[in-house]
Amino acid sequence: MKTIEKAKLDGFLSQLAQQYRVLVPVDYNGLTQFAPYSQVQEGVSKLYFDGNVTVSPKTVYLPQSEAMYKFRAQGKKLAIEELPELDKQQVVFGVRHCDTKAIQCLDKVFLDEKFEDPQYKNKRENTIVFSLACNNPKATCFCESMGVDRAHAEASVADVQVYDFGDTYGFEVISDKGKACLDAVTGLGETESKLPDQKPQTIKFDPSGLPEKLKGMFEDPIWDSYQFKCLNCGTCTYICPTCHCFDINNKIRGEVGMKLRTWDSCMFNEYTLMAGGHQPRAGKKERVRNRFLHKLQYFNEKHGMFLCIGCGRCVAKCPVNLDITKFIQQVIGQ
Amino acid sequence: MSNNSVENFEPKILVFACNWCTYAGADLAGTSRLQYPPNVRVLRVPCSCRVNPQFVLRAFQRGIDGVLVAGCHPGDCHYTTGNYYTRRRFLLITRMMDYMGIDSRRFHTRWISGAEGPKFQQVVTEMIEEVKAIGPNDKMRDDIEIDVKAVETNE
Amino acid sequence: MSDIQSEMRAVAKELLESGEATVVIGWEKGTMPYNSTPVMIRSAAEVDKLIWDEYCQQNLSPYLIDFIYTEDKVAIFAKGCDTRAYNRLIQDKRITADKCIIIGVPCSGMKNAKAAARLPEGAEVPMANACKECRYPNPVVFDRKIGQDVTPWCTEKNFADVEAIEAMGQDEKAAFWQSQYSKCIRCYACRNICPACNCTNCIFDQSASGWQSKDINASENEFYGVTRAFHVAGRCIECGQCEMVCPSDIPIMLMNKKFIKDIDTLFGAYEAGIETEGPTPLSHYEVSDPEEFM
Repeated sequence: MKTIEKAKLDGFLSQLAQQYRVLVPVDYNGLTQFAPYSQVQEGVSKLYFDGNVTVSPKTVYLPQSEAMYKFRAQGKKLAIEELPELDKQQVVFGVRHCDTKAIQCLDKVFLDEKFEDPQYKNKRENTIVFSLACNNPKATCFCESMGVDRAHAEASVADVQVYDFGDTYGFEVISDKGKACLDAVTGLGETESKLPDQKPQTIKFDPSGLPEKLKGMFEDPIWDSYQFKCLNCGTCTYICPTCHCFDINNKIRGEVGMKLRTWDSCMFNEYTLMAGGHQPRAGKKERVRNRFLHKLQYFNEKHGMFLCIGCGRCVAKCPVNLDITKFIQQVIGQ
Repeated sequence: MSNNSVENFEPKILVFACNWCTYAGADLAGTSRLQYPPNVRVLRVPCSCRVNPQFVLRAFQRGIDGVLVAGCHPGDCHYTTGNYYTRRRFLLITRMMDYMGIDSRRFHTRWISGAEGPKFQQVVTEMIEEVKAIGPNDKMRDDIEIDVKAVETNE
Repeated sequence: MSDIQSEMRAVAKELLESGEATVVIGWEKGTMPYNSTPVMIRSAAEVDKLIWDEYCQQNLSPYLIDFIYTEDKVAIFAKGCDTRAYNRLIQDKRITADKCIIIGVPCSGMKNAKAAARLPEGAEVPMANACKECRYPNPVVFDRKIGQDVTPWCTEKNFADVEAIEAMGQDEKAAFWQSQYSKCIRCYACRNICPACNCTNCIFDQSASGWQSKDINASENEFYGVTRAFHVAGRCIECGQCEMVCPSDIPIMLMNKKFIKDIDTLFGAYEAGIETEGPTPLSHYEVSDPEEFM
């Protein structure tokens, strides 16, 4: 296994940055997210490895606001500017296993057999993922229960497996892309050490059978007790690594404009609002129910996996602590 | 007309003019053949109180370099009290603009009556000069950058 | 603290058993020790869920709006800021007093849950920012009260942080807000938790109207932030909930406090959420207001 001392990580990332566009987990003024390594080099942000970042790495593939194309119209004249594809490959360093699994969920949606999303595909194919195994999960983490392998990252997404050995990081190649990337870097050490110990997670349950159970629960009174405190803000959906709903908008300035794809949230009123003014999901109950069922039942019926991967972001960040793990445990316990 | 280079910079100034006083004042400036630079766009509103602070923010977002909100003198409002509310509101907003880092010379509120054509001329002329000196506004700008030129289509 | 907790449970039990209230809203234990969370109780058997600790910071009054069209009689536990929020809603005519029972709880300041989440277990957790500057720890209005009144630890509004920004240069100010608002993910948690943001239909929920595009960038986000601050100007009760729930750590109260400071200096000192009658600073005027626009 190749290694790099943590003290030399900056040198390692700078080497990569010469060849790739490198994205790293950073703390930017209190917000943790994935951002270009240049931000760290410029001193705008600090590298952040203490637990998972608030805004998940889905931003790498599905930015919160993304131009699709731009246009200029003058009378009967028209021009469309197609946006360029990535000019060089990008490396995302330090994606946790839960988020790697989440990207697999996104693949089901955006790389569907019938409908491929070209912008997503372009980024997905040109991104090399360094997936970092967590030794010290946070108290809100429950990825193991949602079927994430804590020792080995999802092989269809990750290109290099990273282990944290305390003072060093160890790299294990998963894909050819990952190998080429590591080969390009000099100054790596070599070690045979055994894999680091991983502390157990505190939230534990077995969600098997959950989708079947939820199938008959659309009108269950359980929703009343969970919906009460929800604020219908978009925090959970926006920080969630698997929530992928988007909206397409125009942004127009006189004769120029652009099509935009932006995140959308099922918690918002406009999400299901129909042109005639009808609102099929009028209240908190309908919206909370939809979000939970989409994560735990609908997606499973369609793609055979949960749309929740147990990163614990919503558990930690929900303003009112509306806890999906408590809901799952209550349903299983029934 | 306007561009973003500092040389030959021609600022865009947006004037929110109350229908009953300032618009008439601007009209009087026109009929009296009072000259002022053509950098001004006048937007007529029923009362200065109609001007929502978001209008001002939106103007700065979309490339305006200076905003003037103008209405009847206190006590003269066509709707009796509208401009008193304007005054409270814009005392606050003027300070907030400064707090946000937008140059306070870019944003003014003035009372200009229907008889004050010369005052309208003077206020906008001075404002244009001032904004010209400080250059284009780059704060809160929300533009679209695009390279292509439009070409003929069959449509 | 535990005395208050047992008293809370007793009062809730009594209200529900006597039928004086059909719903009691209080706080229960959250997933983590530092996120106590709202709970709605409908039967006396559930009162043991109720707790009172240093993390019961969430303002419960906005939940009263959920019950305006139901037959329920709602009892809520209310700290000083919750009662100011309650007054806010009464003054805005969003709720009616006859449907609510306010059980006042004197509060000696809540702890900073965000700091607690970052600090190692067992470390001393500082007080929440808004609580440090709280001048009304005791309920300003109540139907019943439990516990003993506390002495306010802060008697005057503190604008040191606002003045620090005011003292910055122009570009420095702009850069500061740019860096803060570039973090905003526009989840609208600050709006949804705010007792003053109680409009039935918010302009930010109407993207077709063109007020606010769904594009996320520092300019649009700042537009949102400033507009919201202006909409709550003169009505903000300084509970600091907006800042506490912000997942991006944006100092939202710096905007709100700027308006509070200017209102105080320009139009005379005003405390929102103390009175339920009379106009707010921006819903009336004085002929003698300062004149700068001649």
